[in-house]
Order: sequence, then structure tokens, then C-alpha cells
Amino acid sequence: MDISLDWLNQYLSPADATAQEADDLLTQAGLPIESRTALPGGDVLLDVEVTSNRPDCLSHIGCAREVAALSGRELVYPEPSEPARAGPVSDLLTLENRDHAACPLFTAHVLTGCKVGPSPSWLVERLEAIGQRSINNAVDITNFITMELGNPCHVFDRNKLAGHKLVIRFAEEGEKLRTLDDKQRVLKEADLVVADAERAQSLAGVMGGGDSEVDESTTDVVFEMATWDPVTVRTQARRLAINTDAGFRFQRGVDPRTIDFAARRAIALLVELTGGQLAEGVLSEGAPLPGPQIVTMRPSRVETILGIEIPVGDMISMLRAVEVGVEQAGEDELRCEIPPHRARDLTREIDLIEEVARITGYDAIPIAESMSVKIDAPQPERRARRELVRVLTGLGFDETVTFSFTSPRHAELFVAPGLEAAAVDDARRADEPTLRPSGLLGLLGCRRANQSARSAAPGMVRLFEVTSTFAQHPAAGDETVPPESVERRNVCLLMDAPGSGETTRRSHDDLQQGLRVMRGAIDTVVRAMHGSEAEVTVEPHAGCPIPAWDANATAWVGVRGPGASKAVTIGLFGLLSDAALKAFDIDTPVVAAELGLDSLVAGYPPRSLAHALPQFPHIERDLSLVLDESVRWSTVSAMVNGLGLDRLESCGFVGTFRGKQVGPGKKSVTLRLRFRDPDRTLRHEEVDPQVESVVLQSKQALGAELRG
Amino acid sequence: MLDDLNQLESEGLAALDTAADAGALEAWRITYLGSKGRLKGAMSGMKDVPKEQKGAVGKRANEVKAALELAFEAKKAAIGTGGRASGPALDITEPGLVESRHVGRSHIITRVIDELTEVFGRMGFAVAEGPELEDDEHNFIKLNIPPEHPARDPIDNFYVDDPEKVTTPRMLRSQTSTVQIRTMEDAVAKGWGPPIKIVSPGRVYRPDTVDATHSFMFHQIEGLYIDRGVTMIDLKTTLFQFARAYFGPDADIRLRPSFFPFTEPSAELDMMIALKPGAEPAWIELGGCGMVDPAVLEVCGIDPEVWTGFAFGFGIERIAMGRYGIPDIRMLFENDVRFLAQL
Repeated sequence: MDISLDWLNQYLSPADATAQEADDLLTQAGLPIESRTALPGGDVLLDVEVTSNRPDCLSHIGCAREVAALSGRELVYPEPSEPARAGPVSDLLTLENRDHAACPLFTAHVLTGCKVGPSPSWLVERLEAIGQRSINNAVDITNFITMELGNPCHVFDRNKLAGHKLVIRFAEEGEKLRTLDDKQRVLKEADLVVADAERAQSLAGVMGGGDSEVDESTTDVVFEMATWDPVTVRTQARRLAINTDAGFRFQRGVDPRTIDFAARRAIALLVELTGGQLAEGVLSEGAPLPGPQIVTMRPSRVETILGIEIPVGDMISMLRAVEVGVEQAGEDELRCEIPPHRARDLTREIDLIEEVARITGYDAIPIAESMSVKIDAPQPERRARRELVRVLTGLGFDETVTFSFTSPRHAELFVAPGLEAAAVDDARRADEPTLRPSGLLGLLGCRRANQSARSAAPGMVRLFEVTSTFAQHPAAGDETVPPESVERRNVCLLMDAPGSGETTRRSHDDLQQGLRVMRGAIDTVVRAMHGSEAEVTVEPHAGCPIPAWDANATAWVGVRGPGASKAVTIGLFGLLSDAALKAFDIDTPVVAAELGLDSLVAGYPPRSLAHALPQFPHIERDLSLVLDESVRWSTVSAMVNGLGLDRLESCGFVGTFRGKQVGPGKKSVTLRLRFRDPDRTLRHEEVDPQVESVVLQSKQALGAELRG
Repeated sequence: MLDDLNQLESEGLAALDTAADAGALEAWRITYLGSKGRLKGAMSGMKDVPKEQKGAVGKRANEVKAALELAFEAKKAAIGTGGRASGPALDITEPGLVESRHVGRSHIITRVIDELTEVFGRMGFAVAEGPELEDDEHNFIKLNIPPEHPARDPIDNFYVDDPEKVTTPRMLRSQTSTVQIRTMEDAVAKGWGPPIKIVSPGRVYRPDTVDATHSFMFHQIEGLYIDRGVTMIDLKTTLFQFARAYFGPDADIRLRPSFFPFTEPSAELDMMIALKPGAEPAWIELGGCGMVDPAVLEVCGIDPEVWTGFAFGFGIERIAMGRYGIPDIRMLFENDVRFLAQL
């Protein structure tokens, strides 16, 4: 809202507010000044930011009211003269308001014999001070009143109105209107118009029509002052993309009870400046005016909210300063009558308490030296999240924060069976409207960006992000019910398969190594969350139907907590597919994991207990088994552990070897059996039978040959 | 000619079946789809086809070409190429190996959120979180934001469902205040509060045009304290103590009246701080705050005659960018590892 300081002072007594004082007071009132500009002649332009609840301040009188209330000045209203009237207005114009909900009040005055021409210099200066161009005296008065009182209004050339009639009605579908900006508008049934007997002559509350414009040839002027339903005005202003001072104010609400005074002010100026003859009476149609609006405020409640004691007498003065009528109605009861210009804003006790706080000034509310705090136990989840970040950064992963949007094409790579991607319905996200079904999409994008920037050698990038992922169940059929959302918070890890130098090619061993390093990261994370005794289980997800994952190298990750009989699935890990790499144009194969955050942190803090360390040495035996390629390590390990061998402490993995000595389609897997007796030192011959039974069982169950 | 094409198709598909690795696949591609391949050869025979058959033969030729290309792509995907060697099956069950070549860094946003929640934690605020894919009931209605309020305009929000058609349309939350509502509802439903004392950091979404200081996704932190006898003195004290604890012993705060539908009285929160270490302290508009509007308490089932409370919220990027001298908000989301390593 552009405010001229000279203009503002016109309503203040004494009229001596400086720019700095006005700036300070309006800011204190909740109307901060965005900029101050010096104008010729010593005036100052203030750009006042007005929040949507204060349409009363979209006017010079409204801002003056705030300055007056906060500075103890008197607010001086303009005093319209009472021009002579002659001849009934109903002889000159008829009015029909067909929708009192959309148009709660419409008033029309008529002046005849007007001389429309240049405005006097005081009026031109007022408008120019706030950056408006003078058009002619009649039109300038409407703009002046809008900015003086916050009541937008309009003038029609009566002789251009068919049937000398005004009708407030909704437009016909396809009806045309040439608006004052000389644009041809095609209207819809939801658009409200002011029409004459034949066609639309203005878009209600937004902009007048060019065909009934008042210009120098006009002699008879119809002066409209009305109020409109804010939603109706907003809808049509938005649809037609017309932003006007009038539309802005009507969208925020203009109370019908303010119309009488504003119309009298405008009419008096019209008579004075155009010399026209005002007809007797006013055409007025609308809903009954609202009655007095009473809100009760308990002075005790002010202290309950603000924490400071304010004498009741002071409260009464403050409220009266902003034109609230106040009477003491009981010991702890003020009966407050709300002025029409605040009708939408001050409807409840708390609204009046805010007025008291505002006028008192928030600086009057003290800051205490200390505060009392109740101590609760730390939240496990917060500590777990911090620990998670510590562990992952320690493992060489950099944390990212990436956007939650993706393209439909990329989303399809990750949508889980039975679900579909959710997307925003918004043209501004035309390329990437989809809410990502996997956090790995963000990491893949990052991986690609780092590749383009050549910010790290292939093989060196490791990224993670803890983030929400989105999907939805297919719609149930009822269009009014939204599909059920699925939002999950995941820990997402992405890592280049290791390699050497600048090459992006990866051997089988490189990929296998990548899987093992990722698995190592998962193990470390899970143990940090669930304790050292928790076990990570990996169940190959053969033929994984999610396109981003390599169908032959992807597994479900599970966690079996200490003492639990079954593992709980927490996510997926594996190699990402060529399709995923190709979609992001990434040249280095990557391994990834996506684990549910909630399942991970659920174990935190781990309840691990210390055990005494073993006192006696162990014995280790390595065995190299030649196996079919199809036999997985998990099968070997389960077989050994299933034998229930006496004093077996662990069955470890040493490595896999392939080559001529092993033969095609075969691999040699070396495992390390560790035996220990808690109470004494074992002798070698004591473990020989156990080792023999592993060899035997490997042959029988897995078809293994012992190598070397 | 049609027979030739049919034969080409069946032979090609059969040959493709036998291709077992990337090398064989490439050889097949050259034989069938290459620039001197069999398909090209067959196409060149088109000029000898009688005019009246040209249409049918041409159509068939295109079908064969499409079928071979499709099968090739499928096979290529099955075998796996790119930077990845073909070879024996990978064993995804091999045990883990802990190996790291450098120490990673947590993201600045995470670090600032940790710093903030740590300070608020010492003041007794627990951390609460809520969904990002919200609905208008939690983002607007229960926050006392009426249908005609400009904040609800689709122009300023990311709706997932059409608000004109769906009764409770989903949307990406435009503010973390949604978590206030969810926490109050949860407290009342499960009987654990009030008192409620939470902060809620998280992502929010608004369709702002992206520039050096604006992004369509950013982070906020929201605070809510509801108890018996909470007043605006507590609000100012909390924000002041926070400012001093986080920004240093000379920090100061200032509240200016403002308007938010979910607080009343409402205020803009300014802090006198040196955002960037070593800079001259200045008043900086940080966020909004106020006393929780009684309508918001009521809609969540909390009696405003018994309980009062305050809420505040501010942006996290602003603080992170100031503290770490980050000139452009986009750098935060590009995640260049060299940028991440600087901080």
C-alpha cells in the first residue's frame, strides 16, 4: 500500500508526523514499511506492507488511524458537504441486484449536467504522489476515494447504459465485455457483472467496462459504490488475471456499513468538481445491513495471554483509540462494539487481546532471566539419527540433501509392485512432478552431477541421504476420495563399485567387492543401531521386479535382533541395473541400499552387555571348497553352522577364487573354521573330526571338492 | 520379398537367443542391425518390389526391424553391459567388508538442524516429525486458515489432488506447522499431553521461482509449547534464550505485530545477530511466532480456557547460508562432493 506522508497527515491532528515517526509507529502497529522514497515538494512515499487481515489499512485513513492510536494524536475524518439534490433518482436509473450473497450491497447515485474534465491540482498531486495518473475529475475521484477510505467505487456514463438500467447478475457463458484496459474478455457463468439492460458493463468488483466509460463527453454520471463477496471477486480476478486496487480490496472484504459515508464523501466531491446536479435519493439494493457486532473481553484474560498486568482503564482507552466502542459490563467484562471497518478481523476475545498487546507494544512484554525446564529422557530416535550419520560418514559416505521431485520416467524405475507414484498437479513442475518413490533417485542425480563436474574419480563417490519417499495405492474409484498415500523415511546409500584410477569399467571381482563393501556398511549401521549381537540377514531377491535393481544381484536385507527367532525385513541392497545407470547417464556401476529408517532406529539404544573375553587360544582351520558357481556363500555358511559342531566358534569367509585350476562354471570358496574351548587350550587332534565332517557334508550336500 | 523378411526375423531372433555375452550380442547387432547388416540388405531390395506391393512390404519391413530392435534391447538388458563386465553370477550373500578411503561429511542442513534441536532440547523441547505429503486439513483447515485465505491459493502450493474435486486434497506441506496439529491430536488421542513442548524441523514445499535465495523446497523448524499458564513472556524468554545460546551472548530479539491465522497475538521475529561469524550484528527477520490461537487448540481437542501456548517457526537455510557463508541456496542441494567437503 503506497502512502503519501502529506496525505496521511491530513487526517491527523496535530498534522506533524514525520516519515521516521510514521515508519516507527506503523511498524509497531504491525504494518512494516518496505521502502521510503522522497517525493518532490518534501512529501515522502511509504510502501506499507499490509497483512491480509487488515484491509482497513489499505487506505490513508486506515493508516492514519493506527498512527493516531499509537501516538495519541486525534484522527480527523473528512467532512463531506451536503449538496443540493433535485429530481428523483428513480427517474434517471433503475437498479436490480439479483444476487445478495454475491453482492451484499449496491448503491447508485446519479448526477446530471456534469462537466467532465481535468482535475484540480490538489487531486492530481494526491494521485501522482502515490504513482497514479490523473484521467479526469470524475474518474480521479473514484481512485481518490479508494485510496482515502478503502472503498473502491466506479462511475458509468449514464447515457451509454442501455435502458438506463443497472443489473447485478452472473454472466452468461461466453458473454463478452471490453474492460477499461481495452481487452475483450469472454466471461463464464461464475463471473459476476454489472450490466445494463442488454449486456455486461463492468466486471463486478474488479474492473469497469470500456463501453460505458466516463470521458469528457459525459454529462450524466452514475456513481456506483458497492461491496462484493470476496471469493466471487477473487475467482474472477484470478481467472481473468486482472489485478486492480479494487479487486485487491474487495477480496479482503469491504463492510457494507462503510458504504454510506464513503459514498457521501465521493458524491460531495463529484458535485464540487464536475458542477453536476445530484438527483434526489439513492438506489440501493442488497441484503440487510449487519447489526452491531459485540464481542466480550475479560480483562483478566489479557494477563493470562500476555503475562503482564495492564490497568483496565488503559485497555479501554487503547480499544477506543482504534474506534472499538467499549463499556465496562461487569467486574471482569468489557462489552466491545466492533467498528465496521474491522468487522472481519475482530470477532473474538483473542482478537481484542491482540489489539491491546499491539497498542501496548510487544516491547513492553519483559524477558525473564531464566526459565524452568522439566527434564525428560533423551529421545532414542534423535540419538540414533545422530549416531547413524556418524557411522555413515565414518564409512566414507557424504551426506546429501536432494529434492523430493523426480520425473515420471525416473520414478518408474523404483515404483514397488502394487503401488503407483504420486505426483503434484502443477504446471510449474512439468518435467519433474513426481514425488520420488525412492531416495536413491536423488543420489543417482547427485552421482550424475558429480560425474559431470568431474569432482571425484570413478570409484570414489559414496553418498547417503535420510529422506522421505512417496507412493500411493491405486485409486479406489471414488473421485472425491484421494488415493491412500504411502510415505516412508528411508536411509539410502549409493556407492561406486570400487576400481582403480580413472577407468569406469568394473570387473566381476570389482562388482563383488562393491557388494561386500556395501554389505559391510549395512552390517556396521545395523550393529550401531541394534547392537553387536544383531544379525544382518540377506535373502537374494531373484527376479526383483523393480527395474532399478539388478534382478540377479539384489537381496532383501533383514535384521534378527538378539534373541529374536525371525529376521525383520528392513530394505533392499544390491547392484543397480543398467537401466538405472542409463537413465541417469552414469558411467560407473554403483551398488546401493535403501533401508527403512524406523526399523533401523527401533533398536536404539542397543542393549548389548559386556562378556568376559576368552582366556584360552583358538584353533583355526582353512578349507577351500570347489563349488558350482550357483552355490552361494549363505548356503555354505548355513550348512556348516547347521552341523552343530562341538566348540565351533565361527565359520568365516576368506575369499573366492576362480581360474583354470578350478575349472569352468566352478569357484573355489575358502572358509575359516575357528574352534575354542572356554575352559582350556584345545589340541589340534580335537578339532580334526569336526573339520572332517565339514568336508564330508560339503561333498554330500553341496557336491564340493576339497582343493589343495 | 515378404518371405525373405519373415525368414530374416525368425533367424535373427533364434540367433539372438544363443548370444550369451556382450561380445556375442555386439556381433549379432552388427550382423543383423548394422549399417551393412542383413536388415539393411533386405531394405535395399525394396526398389525391385512392384509398386502395388510396396505398401505391404514396407510395412512388414518396419515390423521386422522393430521386432529385432526390441528383442536386442531386451537381451542387452538381460545380459548387462555398460561399464559392467559380464561373467559368472555375483554372490550377493558374501559377507561384508568394512572399507573406507575417506571420512564423509554430514550435510550442512543436517548439522544446523542438529545444532538447533540440541539448543532447544536443553530448553526441554522434544523433537516431533510429521509427513511431508500432507492434506489441506492439517496444512490449512485445522490451522485456522479459512478457504478464502490467500495462502490456500493453488498458485502458492503444491497440490497432489485437485482441490476442486477431492474433499480432503493431499498436498506437500507448505509449512512445518502441520506437525503442531498432528502432535496435539496425538497427545489428546493417546493422553500424553498437554503439556506439549516440541520442535519440529523438516522439509517444506512452495512453488517459488528458484534463485539465489529461493527454492521450491526448503527447511523450517517449528516450536510449540502448550501448558498451564504459558504467556507471551515465556515466548519472548524462550526465543531470547535461544538467540543467546545459539548466536552468542550479545544476541537480542524483537517482536513486531503481524498476522498468522494460527497464532494470536502474532509477531514477526527479528534477531540482532551476526549471522556470518565476525560480521557486524544487525536486525534480521528470522521468522514468525505468537500465542497459539484458541481456535487451533479447540479443533485439536484442547481447552483454551485451561491451556495456553506459543508457537514459532523460522527457516533453516537462512541460518545455514549465513553461518557458512553460502552465497546461493542451490549449492545446498547440488551436493557436489567438493562443496560438501569444504564445510
